[in-house]
Amino acid sequence: MNQYVTISVDGMSIDVPKGLSVLDAALGHGICIPHLCRVPYISDIGACRLCIVEHVKNGRSKITTSCTLIAKEGMVILSNTEKIIKLRRNIAELLVTEAPNSRAVQDVAMRCGVKEVRYSFRNSDCILCGRCVRSCTGLFGEKAIGFVGRGKDRRVESPFEIKSQLCNECGRCIDLCPMTVVPCDGPMMPGEERLCGNCESKMSFAEEIPGFCIACDLGEGFQCERRLFLGP
Amino acid sequence: MAKIHAISDLEELREKIVDDRKQFEKTIILCGGTGCKASRAQAVIDAIENELAEQGMEKRVLMRTTGCHGFCEQGSLMVIEPGNIFYCHVLPEDIHEIITKTIREGEVVERLLYTDPVSGKVIQTEAEIPFYKAQDRYLLAQNRQIDPCSIEDYIAIGGYSSIGKTLSDISQKSVIREIENSGLRGRGGGGFPTGRKWAECREAPGDEKYVICNADEGDPGAYMDRCLLEGNPHLVLEGMMIGAWAIGAQQGYVYVRNEYPLAVKHIRVAVQQARELGLLGNNILGSSFSFDVSIARGGGAFVCGESTALMASLEGKVGEPRPKDVHTVLEGLWNKPTTLNNVETWANVPSIIQNGASWFGFKGVKGSKGTKILALTGHVKNTGLVEVEMGTPIKTVVFDIGGGAANGKPIKAVQTGGPSGGCLPADKFYLPVDFDSLAEAGSMVGSGGMVVMDESTCMVDVAKYFLKFLQDESCGKCVPCRLGIDRMLEIVTKISEGRGVSEEISLLEELGATVTQTALCGLGKTAANPVLSTLTYFRDEYEKHINEKKCPAGVCHELITYMIDSEKCTYCGLCKKACPHDAITGEKKDIHAIVLDQCRKCGICRSECKFDAIQVN
Ligand SMILES: Cc1cc2nc3c(=O)[nH]c(=O)nc-3n(C[C@H](O)[C@H](O)[C@H](O)COP(=O)(O)O)c2cc1C
Ligand code: SF4
Ligand code: FES
Repeated sequence: MNQYVTISVDGMSIDVPKGLSVLDAALGHGICIPHLCRVPYISDIGACRLCIVEHVKNGRSKITTSCTLIAKEGMVILSNTEKIIKLRRNIAELLVTEAPNSRAVQDVAMRCGVKEVRYSFRNSDCILCGRCVRSCTGLFGEKAIGFVGRGKDRRVESPFEIKSQLCNECGRCIDLCPMTVVPCDGPMMPGEERLCGNCESKMSFAEEIPGFCIACDLGEGFQCERRLFLGP
Repeated sequence: MAKIHAISDLEELREKIVDDRKQFEKTIILCGGTGCKASRAQAVIDAIENELAEQGMEKRVLMRTTGCHGFCEQGSLMVIEPGNIFYCHVLPEDIHEIITKTIREGEVVERLLYTDPVSGKVIQTEAEIPFYKAQDRYLLAQNRQIDPCSIEDYIAIGGYSSIGKTLSDISQKSVIREIENSGLRGRGGGGFPTGRKWAECREAPGDEKYVICNADEGDPGAYMDRCLLEGNPHLVLEGMMIGAWAIGAQQGYVYVRNEYPLAVKHIRVAVQQARELGLLGNNILGSSFSFDVSIARGGGAFVCGESTALMASLEGKVGEPRPKDVHTVLEGLWNKPTTLNNVETWANVPSIIQNGASWFGFKGVKGSKGTKILALTGHVKNTGLVEVEMGTPIKTVVFDIGGGAANGKPIKAVQTGGPSGGCLPADKFYLPVDFDSLAEAGSMVGSGGMVVMDESTCMVDVAKYFLKFLQDESCGKCVPCRLGIDRMLEIVTKISEGRGVSEEISLLEELGATVTQTALCGLGKTAANPVLSTLTYFRDEYEKHINEKKCPAGVCHELITYMIDSEKCTYCGLCKKACPHDAITGEKKDIHAIVLDQCRKCGICRSECKFDAIQVN
């Protein structure tokens, strides 16, 4: 039998199976905490940091990522405070200016409230979320791809930069890659990058009841857990 | 040497060593630290050995090669006891004179004495040198008493008596209480209370636990951990033994960066010697305590000094931090409870046990006890490793120990805490060097780096330098750190090139705050400090770069022009010859001028000119 713990997210008390992350718990209860690098059923690394929440403990709040935080009895979580909203927007702004050519990134930036950007666009083709790497090493135990390099030079590569024998062409890495979903209006050429803003109308609804999953189309881009539950 | 099985054996050995040493009338202490090795200390050592043999004095004079004395810029350093005579810049050719005059006749060789650059006085003894006098050298002072490769030397000065005392009559709980009461806080940067860490680790469930010594020391310019490990490795080992006993660990690791070959060698030798004596291994000193230490070498990535990255690296994985929602005292190395402490933290432990918590707490101020080793560099007269009581004002370090401005230009700031620390302006020099005061002012003690900067330093350029360092050293795993630092660097570079706009100052502040609050590990969480602290205290410099397109310190290339002051110029032609870009016109004895289009602003002409005629605008 499953053991349950009770936690509070944004004032709502929810029962969740022991061992689940706060993010999974919240998504399962229809509370929308934006996320990007998380892969369902595989260990999370807390790389994109969009899923940050305030964890209130002994009267002090600590900012941490909900995907790596395991739910413990009595935890108090705030996912939509002014502080979190602002920080999340700033992170999403960094992401979308780095890689505007992805519907997933554009959508999640919109979801996080990015209406304009203050940096120049860069048009990278990888945001190093590591979903591909983890699906390859985590789910199937293969190590056909991995991270190499540090900081600015970090990138995803196969060992020795040649296609690995370990790869059995399952294609899961490509399924999970947020960069493979092009923006609705088609790819943007260098110099043409902008916020596409296609989902803005849907998001106005989200602003009225912040934090609650409105079953938006955003999941399409990066396979939101909710989306997987509901089916396409 | 025979194995030691009981504390009484250890005491006997100590007496015997001390007795044996009585035959020596004089001791020549020579610094063999990495700094002095660079100043030919090895040749000096050989010369002394030859000379002593030639004059037939090996039996009467003890030569001791020790770890670093801290005053590296004066190397090679030599101290002769008794008499405390201090010689600096010693070369192999000086040895004959030193042995004949000082050792045989007791005369001082004047020309090798130290001249204080502040007062111009020649000083004979080490104790009188202002650089040393204003310090409170507790840990560093031990360096000159021992040869790091000799366990006998360490035992002779009371070494390993603290672990003896611990094993014979202090309970594990009392050891932890003692450390807690002493107020010792981690010296690795975070300043976490050591006793509390140990208590949490001791209480963590599980039989298998580990202690680790963090000797990764990746801060540019910092070398206090290297100095301790090179100069007094047994002290660090003894500290680890006490910690291991208290928390219940049987295995320890020293994670030392590979760029420190001498430190690696000395700690290896120390572990080997301790094993041979039975001070590491099973049933240490006849007790039930068994403990051993392994040495691991780190590749030298700055981020590998971070606790979780270091443990990943020890496990043979990529040295990347992981989220710390569960602390390493509960799930650390191989997911077992682990206590990680810095070299200097461990080195403080034996004397706390020996002398008691209140002895340690006597030094320092509220919240920061004991002493701290600082690496003093930059535009001061004396640079090197200095150890001061916690709470010593910055100005004491800069002016009394450092001797004040080196180049005659006023000192304007000090950067403390390494790449993730901050810059404090001269009007904050009254601040005491302690964890809380510096953190409150927007900087930190960190690992103890202290870079003094005078008017010739541009603070925008300083911020740029540290951001560049952190950009290179960030592991790149999380977004705020990888992209946030990158964007901050982009903005600061723009400002330094005169392309900045004033809104970018507030953008920098907002971005800095975001990175600080949301990055995964300590590197990212502190990466904005150099920018935020310079914005707090030197905002006018940023504004001048943006609004007036001027770099007040004359550093930022894009914003300066070089010109020749025709009144000062003597038409000597030196600058013309020196310029690698042929940007200077005019014949000898004729008016010189710089062709601005051709000038690459390298500044070579300026350093070449003997008449200060090259001006920067
Ligand atoms: C990026 C980064 C680099 C670090 N480098 C070092 C280091 O070189 N040496 C060190 O002792 N601690 C370093 N630390 C601090 C360690 O994570 C850890 O807090 C410390 O070793 C704990 O020991 P202490 O409590 O004795 O200070 C670093 C932390 C970060 C975030
Ligand atoms: S904060 Fe920087 S160094 Fe730390 S995990 Fe994130 S990217 Fe790596
Ligand atoms: S989803 Fe949690 S950090 Fe990316």
